[in-house]
Amino acid sequence: MSDPLGPQVRRLFEALAHAGELSAAMVGAGATPADATAAHATRVVSGEAGRERRGTRVRFTLCLDGDRLLEVRYRAYGCPYTLAACEWLARRLEDGGPGRIGAPGEWAQALQIPPARMGRLLVVEDALRAALAAAGLSPALSATVSE
Amino acid sequence: MSAAEPVYLDYAATSPVDARVAAAMSECLTRDGVFGNPSSLHPHGRLARERVEHARAQVAALIHAEPQQLVWTSGATESNNLAILGTARAAARRGRHLISARTEHKAVIDPLHRLEHEGFQVTWLDTDQYGMIDPQRLRAALRDDTALVSIMHANNEIGVLQDIEALAAICRERAVPLHVDAAQSAGKVAVDVRRLQCDLLSFTAHKMYGPKGIGALYFAPARRAALQPLMFGGGHERGLRSGTLAVHQIVGFGVACELAATAWQADAEHCERLRTRLWLGLQAIDGVLLNGHPTARVANILNVSFTGIEGESLLMGLGELSLSTGSACNSDSDEPSYVLRALGRDTELAQSSLRFSLGRYSTEADIDRAIAAVTREVRRLRAIVP
Repeated sequence: MSDPLGPQVRRLFEALAHAGELSAAMVGAGATPADATAAHATRVVSGEAGRERRGTRVRFTLCLDGDRLLEVRYRAYGCPYTLAACEWLARRLEDGGPGRIGAPGEWAQALQIPPARMGRLLVVEDALRAALAAAGLSPALSATVSE
Repeated sequence: MSAAEPVYLDYAATSPVDARVAAAMSECLTRDGVFGNPSSLHPHGRLARERVEHARAQVAALIHAEPQQLVWTSGATESNNLAILGTARAAARRGRHLISARTEHKAVIDPLHRLEHEGFQVTWLDTDQYGMIDPQRLRAALRDDTALVSIMHANNEIGVLQDIEALAAICRERAVPLHVDAAQSAGKVAVDVRRLQCDLLSFTAHKMYGPKGIGALYFAPARRAALQPLMFGGGHERGLRSGTLAVHQIVGFGVACELAATAWQADAEHCERLRTRLWLGLQAIDGVLLNGHPTARVANILNVSFTGIEGESLLMGLGELSLSTGSACNSDSDEPSYVLRALGRDTELAQSSLRFSLGRYSTEADIDRAIAAVTREVRRLRAIVP
């Protein structure tokens, strides 16, 4: 029985492990916000794009230690492809940093997302770019994004 | 996807063929059965013709029509096309104005758009917040050059039942023919063309436990001469619809109608009881809204919107359920439901709807599984919205 979502999107959609919030208090075992900020210079920033009434709204939250990306979370309202892309990007960001994320066309190809949904991926990209910019990782790293 | 068998809650899309229907159909396929061409004059053909005419009587009886008032088609889409295109084109010299509603099925909307390209003008009636058409809106829209009014009986997305008798009375005052798409009501509620007083009525087998690929168009006696055929090539069906008759499908349609004629009330009571159970269960979730009229609707359809949820994600998260979203949800389109938009639902709510449609084989266990699955998935998705 064929799944309209495709196997990769289905797997990601059913296991949205990175969906949620981050705060400085959540970073590091037992660390308080004050500890985190003082001892590790840990920062939590976010970027958002889209609107529910347009079908897609995404917010990425990044936790950084200096310029080092520690954790990624997102919240999203959108179709399964949107949610799967957010999860996939969060995993890639945590694994390899912004240099690994590529461009929306590559995401669509990697996840076998139909061309009709590219508009949704552009909202995801906008949210991610906004978060990276808030982290001070752009324009250099966002330039990497668009390579 | 759950390992258990998925629960089927999409009877408004199609229904399984009743075993008695399938048995009758299988008698019309093989060498030892009634496989002849009903247009042939030899014994095999005459036997097939007998079966076809018997089925025509069975189908006509369901809607209280005379057998000669039916023409076989491939389904409700073709019936709608024949009724709309056939009537409008035949009447084009007298009038080129048509009336329909914004909440109609695409099988009505698209032929009307086709006619707009041919120079006809279409007035699209608005509905109220429940999807009901005010008969006075129809009265106001009628013109001297109106050639046809086409209004569906039961809406395929929200199940709302229009007051066809009232609409037909207004059409009769102005001698304008009324076509009714009854694809979702035939076999679900009492459909009596003598009482409805419509001029044309489309219906299909596969929504009432019959086979796909066969439907019928009823026409009132005065309408026969005013219908222009769409298909040519042999003059079958008294020139209205050429093409060799599919005996096995017609026979299946006949048996399905005969069964529906005796079972529809029990089916409706069964569906209403289960629909109530489903609605009560879903109401335990916050932010659940009923789409459509609370009482004037077929018993087997429940359409609800969930605030703060994207409909396609909700649907795709419900792998253990076979149902439809109100939006046109497929890999090529993510447009919100135009029917729900016509009711005044905003885009967000129109995108977050599910259509549950129940049937003869639905069970309480199915409903309970559906409630549990929807509750789980709504909570999961709401937990991650920004």
